[in-house]
Order: sequence, then C-alpha cells, then structure tokens
Amino acid sequence: MSSLTAGLLVEAHGLLAYSDAATAGLWPRAAALLARQALEQGLNDFWQVRAPGVEKGTRRSQMLCLRSYADEQLAEEANHTWTALSRACHHHAYELSPTASELKRWMRSVTDVVDSLETNGGKLRSPA
Amino acid sequence: MEESLQRIVFDRLKADGSLDHDWSLYVIAACNSEAELASALDSSSTHPASTQAPPAMPTSPAGAYLHSVTVQGFRGIGPEATLQLQAGPGFTLVVGRNGSDKSSFADALEVLFTGDSHRWAGRRAQVWKEGWRNLHHPHPAMVEAVLLIEGSGRATATRRWKKEEGVEAGVAEVQAPGKVKQSLDSLGWTEALVTHRPFLSYNELSSMLDEGPGKLYDALSLVLGLEDLVEAQTALSNSRRNRKKAMDAAKKALVPLRARLDQVHDEGGDQRALDCLAATGGRTWDLDALEALTDDDTTAAGEIDWLRRVVVLELPAPARVAEAATGLRRATLEREAATGSGSHRAGTLASLLEGALAYHEHDNVSDCPVCNTSGALDPQWKDRAQDEAARLRVEAASWEQALGAVRGAVRQAKELLVPAPTVLQRAADILAPGAVFEAWQQWRAGITLTAPEELSDHMEKNFEPLHSALETLKLEARTELEARQDRWRPVARDLTQWVKEARSASLGMEHDSSLKTAEDWLKKAGDSIRAQRFEPIGNQAIKLWEHLRQQSNVQLGKIELAGAKTRRHVTLDVTVDGVAGAALGVMSQGELHALALSMFLPRATIAESPFRFVVVDDPVQSMDPARVDGLARAFEEVAQERQVIVFTHDDRLPEAVRRLGIEATTIGVTRRPASVIELRPASDPMTTYLSDARALENDSQLPEDVRRRVIPGFCRSALEAVFTDKVRGRRLAAGAEHAAVEEELALTNTLTELAALALFDDKDRGSDVMSRLNQIGGWAADTFKQVNKGAHHPYPGSLFRLVTDAEKLCKQIGARK
Repeated sequence: MSSLTAGLLVEAHGLLAYSDAATAGLWPRAAALLARQALEQGLNDFWQVRAPGVEKGTRRSQMLCLRSYADEQLAEEANHTWTALSRACHHHAYELSPTASELKRWMRSVTDVVDSLETNGGKLRSPA
Repeated sequence: MEESLQRIVFDRLKADGSLDHDWSLYVIAACNSEAELASALDSSSTHPASTQAPPAMPTSPAGAYLHSVTVQGFRGIGPEATLQLQAGPGFTLVVGRNGSDKSSFADALEVLFTGDSHRWAGRRAQVWKEGWRNLHHPHPAMVEAVLLIEGSGRATATRRWKKEEGVEAGVAEVQAPGKVKQSLDSLGWTEALVTHRPFLSYNELSSMLDEGPGKLYDALSLVLGLEDLVEAQTALSNSRRNRKKAMDAAKKALVPLRARLDQVHDEGGDQRALDCLAATGGRTWDLDALEALTDDDTTAAGEIDWLRRVVVLELPAPARVAEAATGLRRATLEREAATGSGSHRAGTLASLLEGALAYHEHDNVSDCPVCNTSGALDPQWKDRAQDEAARLRVEAASWEQALGAVRGAVRQAKELLVPAPTVLQRAADILAPGAVFEAWQQWRAGITLTAPEELSDHMEKNFEPLHSALETLKLEARTELEARQDRWRPVARDLTQWVKEARSASLGMEHDSSLKTAEDWLKKAGDSIRAQRFEPIGNQAIKLWEHLRQQSNVQLGKIELAGAKTRRHVTLDVTVDGVAGAALGVMSQGELHALALSMFLPRATIAESPFRFVVVDDPVQSMDPARVDGLARAFEEVAQERQVIVFTHDDRLPEAVRRLGIEATTIGVTRRPASVIELRPASDPMTTYLSDARALENDSQLPEDVRRRVIPGFCRSALEAVFTDKVRGRRLAAGAEHAAVEEELALTNTLTELAALALFDDKDRGSDVMSRLNQIGGWAADTFKQVNKGAHHPYPGSLFRLVTDAEKLCKQIGARK
C-alpha cells in the first residue's frame, strides 16, 4: 500500500479514536471522506501498474472494469465499500452520519481491498 | 379513598337527594374502606351519622421539569455524558443513529425514576438486565437528573450502583441545594410514575393496542385515579356477594338436612323431624321453632314425650306395699283379739250411757227410754251416769285403739292403690301397654274394698304382676326412646349448627336491597365520573389523532372507557372511509402506533401529573413521511405547555420540524469508539455542514492534507442539503405527496442532477446548471466545481475562501424562489 493511502487511513482512524472537541460530531463524515479517498488512491495506484489510463475514467467505470482485472469477489467488495462510503460522504435526505462501527468495517475493507490489489494481484485475501 | 374523590361522591349523593336514604351510608362507608363498610353494616344504626362532607379538593401537585440528564457507565454510555435541556415547556429533539445510544438517555431516565425499564419487562428481559453496564466503563455507574420543581426550585435526583451490583440494586436519592439527601421516594412520585408514566417508547406504544382490551383500559384508566372508586364498588358487590353466598350455602346445606329429617321420621315416626320439616319447608324459615325443637332438654313433642314419661313411671315401692298389707293384717288381728273383752263392753256401755245422757239433755226427759221407769233420769242419775260414762270410756280405750289402728292401716293401704296413669293409653301407639294398664286398673279397683282382710289379700295378689309388667314396659320404652334419640341427636346437633348459619345469613340478607341500591348508584356515578374525567383526555387524543392521521382514512370519533371488571375495554369510535363500527384490525401498524401515541400523550400530560416533561423514544419508526409532519405538529402542540423530549434515529422528524417552522431545539448524538458519547446542539444540515467545514478549517491540530481532502466534502454536503430542502419545500408546498418527492430525490445520482432538479425542477437539465450559477457570479460556478471535485482530491486553493464562498452560495440558493 502506498504511503499516501496508508496515511489517509491512519488519519481516518485517528478521527474515530481520539475524542476531541474540535471534531466532535463531524468526525464520522470526515473519516468517511478520508477513507473513500484512500480507496480511490489505492485504485489509482493499481490502474497505473496494471492498466494505465483507466484511472482517468469515472469511478463507476473503474468499478465495472475492475471485474476484468481482479478477482470477482474483490471487485464486488471494492464496489460495495466505495458505494457505502460515497453515500456517507453525501448529504442524503433524512440520513444521519455513519456510526463508528460502520466506519470501522468500511475502513478494514478499504485496507483489505487495497492490500489485495497490490500484493495478491487482485485476489481477495481470505478473512483472518 | 383519595379525599377529592370522596368529595365528588359525597357531592353527587347530596345533589340527587340520596343522603336521606339509608343506603347512602353504605356508599360513603365503601368509599372509605372495606372495613368501614363492614362496620357500617354491622351496627344497624338506622341513619347515617357520619355523612359529613369530606374536606375540599387538594390542589394539583408541583410540576417538575428536567434541567439536565447525566449518565455514566450505563448501557452504551461510558464516560460521563450530559444531555442539557431547557427546563420549561418546549420541544427538544435528540437525534442520533441507532447505536449512538441516544436511547440510553431515555432508558437511564426511566431507570433513575422507576428503578425499572419497560425493556426489561418483555421477552428479552434477561439480555437487557445482564447487559446494562457499559462494557468499556463498567464502573462507576450513575444516572443523575437535575430537576426544576415548581415552587421549590432545583433538586438533583441520582441513582448510583456499586461495583458488581445488579441494575435493581442501585440506590436512588434526591437532594435540593443546601439540604440533606433524601430517598427518591420523598418526591412522592411513586404512584404518578405508574399512572402518568412520562416515558413512552415505540415498543411500548405498539404493544399497548395488542395486549387486549383489559390492558388498554387499565393503562388509560389508571391516569384517572378512579381505582378507589372501583375498589368501593368491589367492596359493595363483594359484601353483597358474600351475603348471597352465605344464604346460598345455608340453602344448600338445608337440602341434605331435610333428607335426613325425612329419614328420621320414616324410621321412627319422630314428630320432631316432622316439625322441623314444616319449619324449613316454606319460603321463610321458622328458625325460632327450629331452635326450640333441636334443644334436647326442652323438647316435649308427641311420642318422644310419651316414651319419656313411660320411662319414669313409678309404682309404690314393693317394701311399702308389703308393709301396708302386713299392717292391715296385724290391725285386724288386734281388733279381733279385743272383741268381747271388758274394754269392748265398757265401750259399748259408755256409748249407751252417753246416748242416754244426750237424750236426757236434748229433750229434757226424765223417764228411762230403756226400762220405761218414770222419773228415773233425775239430776242424781245424770251425775252418776256422767261419772260412769267417763270411767267406762277410760276402760274402753284399748278397744278404741284397736279400731283406730284398723282404720289407719286401711287408709295407708288405699293410698298405695294409685290410679293408672293416662300416659299408658297415650303410649298405646308406640308400645303395648295393655297388660300393664289392665293390671293397674285391677290394682286400683281395690279402693272399693272395705274389709281390711280383703284389702290385704288384694294387695298381695295384685301388686307383683303389675310391678313386673310395668318394669317390662319401661324397659321397652327406654329402648325405643334411645333408638329414637340415636337417630335424632346427630340431626338435631347439625340442625342447631345450621340454625346459627341460617340466622346470620338471613340477618345478612336484610341489607341486601340497600346494598344493591348503593352498588347500582355507585356504579352509575362511577361511570359518569369516569366519563367526565376521561373526556378531556379523549378529546385531546382525538385532536392529536387529527394531526397524526394525515392521509389515513381512519377517523376517530370518540374514545370511551366502557364495561367493568373482566369486560372492561376501551371503545374507539373508529370510522373508515365514513363506514362506522370498524375495528382496529383494519389499521396499519403505523396507524396503530400513531393512535396509541394519540391516546398516551394526553395521559402523560394532564394537569394532575407532577411531570411537566414527557420523554418519547423513537416515535417515528415505520411512519410514512406525511405522518411525521403530523407527529411534529402534535409534539408542537403538547410542547406549548409541556417539556417534550423526543429521541429519534434519523432526520425525518427534525426535517419536518424545520420545514414546518416548528420551534424546537435539536441535539445531535454521536458515539465514538469506547462508548464516548458526544452531544452537541444541531441546526439544519446545511448550517451544520458549513459550521463543521469552518471548524475543520480552523483546526490547526489536523494535518493540512487531511483538511484539504475533507473540507470540500463538507461544503458539497451543505450544497446538497440546500438543494434537497429546496426541492422538497417546493414540491410539498405544491401539494405533492411525500413519497413521490423522496423517490424523485433518490433518483438524482450526482450533485449536478440534484442542482438541476433544485434550480429547474428537472434533473435532466444538468448542462444548464453552470450557466445559471454563472448568473449568480463566476465565484458561484467556481465554488460548485471545486467542492464537487474536491471531494475526491485535496483542494489546492484557500480553504478559508472555499468555505466562505460555499456559505455564500448556500445562502443565495436558499434565498431564491
């Protein structure tokens, strides 16, 4: 995982873990934004190695392409996590920001997806 | 009974002129207590002496508002977290995702005051009870509420738990500033917490209508404070029922007794049994007669009596009879021995002389009537004759004595010849006394005998047969008597016992009609008082339902508490599409829930309640958006006079509150890992996003790269929020249905589509968005572009500028028509 991706995830974790009046209440959305960018950064890194240029397409296209380059399960996981994070990053009628446990789950998923893309050539690691 | 209720009952009795009647005493006594009723019924005083008016009504209790709630180590709340509230009427929304533990505040409040939670009443009770401590922060565990009490100011109610203690073990206290701690009970809320329960949760409300008509009735009627009235009614009807029971028991017990009496009579013709049957055969019982009949010592009825009298029959003792016979013989012998003796002759001569003297004296004659010698009876003769007679009389004494002894012996003997007693003839039906009777007649016949020898022969001949026949008869009589008594006594004993029961039962029934009148009166009065008390609650419920029903075709006409005891229920005059008499069955879950809320909000907020607050947990749940609008209106109305605190898990209710312009305070709840709870005032989402963006921009602790990556996302969400509100406000104002609007909003996939929908009412006019924004200003289009892009990449420009422009753009769009 690139240091940029890892750094974004560390910051996202930090927002969750450390109680801080300045970020009280806003940390869920902020963490979601960082986690999503970490996932997107990981995807960019992957495309640049495996299929340069794909990273310039929309995220929706990238998610569709991923099915041809990576394990189908991994592509599904990436798509699901990205969709969930995107939903958390946008304002949606009647919805409140995500909970800490949702964010933790998504962030673990981002780590798994990015690691697998980089080291296993696109195969999802079996869950520990 | 509560004094105010007694007063109401008394006034009603007075108003309809019933105080003059005896039964009104029973009403009043029953209203005091069951014991009082019992004593009123016992002392059969004819007119109520204690019908003095009870004291006037007490005033309603001092109301309490919540100033703050602090929770620590309870369920999802770890370190201390405080929910600040405005202690006064008003509407507070506490908003947090499921899992943010906003509901832990509601639960903690309930546990603080009641020591229990409705959650612990259901199926999952054990799970809740075991998991009440916070995992990250199991100790100390504490719930504290600062109250503002009308008239007495602040007070802090606290419940604390020691290490390892179960949830029910916590100690609850209350303390006013500068005063000593007291038990929480000193607030006097114990009863009100049940009757005016200020905690309403979705689960509880939903189950309320499912739990059967009796439960719903109880839940609603508790608030009316009329249980005492029901108790008084019960006391009266119990009293009547017990009396009737006693009477029925007496009647029932009589049946086998009468059968036994029949049997006793059949077996031995016992008159007593017949008399007892007669005394118990009619509509009323002759208990006095029965008592006399069953009293063993005084009973003198028919055959038993004859038998008893036969048993005690006595003849002269045989020794006396023998003695009398011997006496007769001896006297006779002695008289015979003296016959012809000097004494006998002297006596005869003395009698002759005495006759002559009497003759001389009487007729004054002097000629001798024996020898006809004239002049022989002269005074000298008289003197001599007198002397001679006296001398002869002395000489004749032993003869006289022998005659006297015979007369005495005869007299004594005849005294023993007693007549045959009549009982012998009377007993002829039961015994065979013929022989005895004849022997006795024979014995008696001796009375006519004059000769002493015959008399003594008679006695010696006839006594022994009579005596032995009589003894035989007496034995028969005794045997018969005992047989009869053996049959009778057990029945008599049981009858004696029964008479006691029957007497008390009859006595009890004397009050029956008065008690019935009292019971009927109190029932009618109770129904009327109940209806009168429930009316405002029912009316408010209908009003709330009007808010909540929205598009529902279910109309609620009237709510009444009806029936009593096992048939008590709540009558809901429900009309569906104008068709009356519809049941709850036709209502959807959402409608039922709204209906329950309509009925229970008034219960929690009536004047008699000491709680000026009501806590409602998650009322939205399955409600459709239109009903959420109604819910917001309903709370707004209640919040005019009460502190309404509503916990909700999404933004639907806050959104409706904002859109409808309802005055409310919103508090957001988030929960960080390790059960750290954050509470902060929340405004509308747009304002929140923008102030969050500004806070991030100012947070120099945060790495700059992070800020550049995160802030544009917040700015974009602010724009999304303002566009969304715009679409929703316009559509709903034009009469569109909530569901349709939400569906349309959900179809917008990008910020541009949403902007197009907001700006042109058409999500497909995305290509016109930039030119419209350029009309506002180049900065506007630029900001739109930057926040859209910046959500994915670090923003390179001035963050201060970006947030400022975003604020400006949001305001301008929000202000546009």
